Amino acid sequence: MTVLIVDDHPSFRASARTLLEAEGYNIVGEAENGETAVEAARELHPDLVLLDVQLPGIDGFAVADQLRKLEDPPIVILTSSRDRADYGRCIGECGAHGFVPKADLSGAAIAAFLVA
Amino acid sequence: MIFARRPWLFFGPAAVFAGAAAVALTLTSDHEEHPALTTVLLLFVSMSFVIAGLIGWMRRPSNRTGMLMVAVGYGVLATSLYEANYAVPYTIGTIVGSVFIAVFLHLMLAYPSGRLLSGSGRTLVVAAYAAAVVAPLADAMFPQDQTCKPHACPDDLVLLSRDHAAHVATTALSTVAAVILFAGAFWLLVGRWRRATPAMRRQLRPVYLAGGLSVVLLAIGFIVTPFSGVGNTIVSVALIVTFTAVPFLFLAGLLGTTLARSAGVGTIFSAVPERASPGEVQEGLRAALRDPTAEVAYWYEEGGHYVDVDGNRYELPPDTRHRVVTRLDYADSPVAAIVHDAALRDEPELLEAITGAARIALERDKLLVEVKARAERYRAVLQAMPDLMFRISRGGVYSGYNAPNPRDLLSDVVVGRKVHDRLPKELADRVLEAGQAAVDRGTPQMIEYELEFSGETRNYEARFAASGEDEFLMIVREITDRKRQQAELEASRARIVAAGDDERRKLERNLHDGAQQRLVSLSLSLRLAQRRVRSDPDGAEELLEGSREELAQALEELRELARGIHPAVLTDRGLEAALEALAARSPLPVEIRGASCDLPAQVEAAAYYVVSEALANVTKYAQASAVEVTVERRNGTAVVEVADDGIGGADPLRGSGLRGLADRVASLSGKLDVESPPGSGTRVRAEIPLE
Repeated sequence: MTVLIVDDHPSFRASARTLLEAEGYNIVGEAENGETAVEAARELHPDLVLLDVQLPGIDGFAVADQLRKLEDPPIVILTSSRDRADYGRCIGECGAHGFVPKADLSGAAIAAFLVA
Repeated sequence: MIFARRPWLFFGPAAVFAGAAAVALTLTSDHEEHPALTTVLLLFVSMSFVIAGLIGWMRRPSNRTGMLMVAVGYGVLATSLYEANYAVPYTIGTIVGSVFIAVFLHLMLAYPSGRLLSGSGRTLVVAAYAAAVVAPLADAMFPQDQTCKPHACPDDLVLLSRDHAAHVATTALSTVAAVILFAGAFWLLVGRWRRATPAMRRQLRPVYLAGGLSVVLLAIGFIVTPFSGVGNTIVSVALIVTFTAVPFLFLAGLLGTTLARSAGVGTIFSAVPERASPGEVQEGLRAALRDPTAEVAYWYEEGGHYVDVDGNRYELPPDTRHRVVTRLDYADSPVAAIVHDAALRDEPELLEAITGAARIALERDKLLVEVKARAERYRAVLQAMPDLMFRISRGGVYSGYNAPNPRDLLSDVVVGRKVHDRLPKELADRVLEAGQAAVDRGTPQMIEYELEFSGETRNYEARFAASGEDEFLMIVREITDRKRQQAELEASRARIVAAGDDERRKLERNLHDGAQQRLVSLSLSLRLAQRRVRSDPDGAEELLEGSREELAQALEELRELARGIHPAVLTDRGLEAALEALAARSPLPVEIRGASCDLPAQVEAAAYYVVSEALANVTKYAQASAVEVTVERRNGTAVVEVADDGIGGADPLRGSGLRGLADRVASLSGKLDVESPPGSGTRVRAEIPLE
């Protein structure tokens, strides 16, 4: 499964890439903000976008909404160092398939949303 | 003593008996040349004094003038003993025949109270009594050859010698003594007259005129008698007239007081009509008391003091010889007081009758004066107030105003104009509505408004209170400064709140972007290392090494954040240590002076942040080579100063940091100043009051 990682912190992008690759995911690209994320998704057609909520400029919810409107919309899993409860209903309403706290990120956690 | 209350019971009948005896002695006298004339004169003069004296005595028992007049009358009757044909009464009559003159002198010097008030008066009277006995006694001891009709006189029982030279010597001595005494008495009477107040002179005038003349004539008589028989006769006739006039004038004075009393009461009531002013009442009292200097003071219940007829506070003067206070009380409550000539105390009937009548009028006027005093007080209060005041009718027409500063008025003409002519319509509507509400409900109303005045917008506060059934009072105070200060305070509070929110947001962001991210990465790295620990020990070790560095950085970032929230060193070790820590972290040399003074915790915190922010600004912008930090207590104020030698030209309003500091200092009632002339360094100075 191809994955695009979107986060403004390089250390997290590196850790997430190592972790997911170790579990068999194919990381096809990285983006550090919302605008480049949408462009990369349009270009790379990833199966899944791991999308940080708090991005400089447009936030993860707006990016998720734009990704949903693409011709071939990817699966969007939101992630954040904050708790899901901090965002209320925003996660469900933006078109994302799920939310994984950054500290709990793993291939299995992502796979759980894919099965669902 | 029954004589004190009813002296006529004894002295009246006694005078009749004594008079009868005197008539008998005179008419049967062998040595009296004019028995009939002498009898008539004796009776007329003596009885005039006795009757006038008894009337005065009964009318004023406490006044001894009446008693002294009775004594003079009896003294005159005693001279008839001289007419006796027997040696004993004749000799006694010779000796006591002049005592009445001493009593008369006593009467004159003691008039009008009947009491001798001066030491010189008492001395003179004692000398007169002594002389009145000693001189005739000496004359009887050394008589003239021919005293009576030839061989008609009874024996002189005290006769020592008929030596002519001895007689002349004793007569000369007696005459000199008499003249000295009369001159002294006349001198005292003149002095008394000169010192007397107008009211006192009014009393003294008739009696002094007759009595003083009598004294002079007596003195002349003593001088001329030895030399001229004709002169003696003339003086004697004049003396009888003036001497006898004294009791009649005394009676006339008493009668005058009685008339004045009834006239005075009438004056009070006629001069004090229904709507008389307190001033008119005072004039009426002056006329009634015949004392143009009399003053009326009204008791002002509310103030607990007296006020004059104009409503001004009035302190009653202490009683003196010339002026005294008569208080008018009603049922133990003060009503008024009259300050008047002390001489009126000698006319108690007059004073009593008039003050009795006046009490009624004054009780009524007290209310008027109280109202006046209250009005005076309110007027004083109103004049002292800096506010504009307008009296406005219910219909909206100005009927009066008070403007401490006329420049505060929108227009010079106020009275008679309408509210809608002077004020913008919307404001005029509000003014009338509030004023009418104050009149209708009886409760004060208040509005605030803005007005364009002298080219600027000013704020005013107007209060309304009913000042009559159809009128209200509008009190206007400018509150522009208060409003501006209020706005500044609100803005400052808002900035403090906003700055707090901003700080929290920044803190959350810093936590999120810093330590939290590092901890997330650390968590992921540890999980990876855990998976590789068996399959790839070298890779796992590498991951763990990276994790350790990540953790160390996360800890450092957390420490930095915590320092930004509140410097622990300030709490633990005080301002001096905290400032030294700041200085140690600064890239520039920082000299700290006087930070050891003990200050309240919130002042220390403010001082710390002032220095921290100022040092940060110096590092960023000032291009300075050194910084000096001073913290000291000065006159109950903490003074914090940060001065650098940089380029200056700093704009205090440029950054949010300095404004936030100014707000923090202002929240402690302090002020923050920044002096930064171009090229001369920057001086940030905070002054925070410590009490």
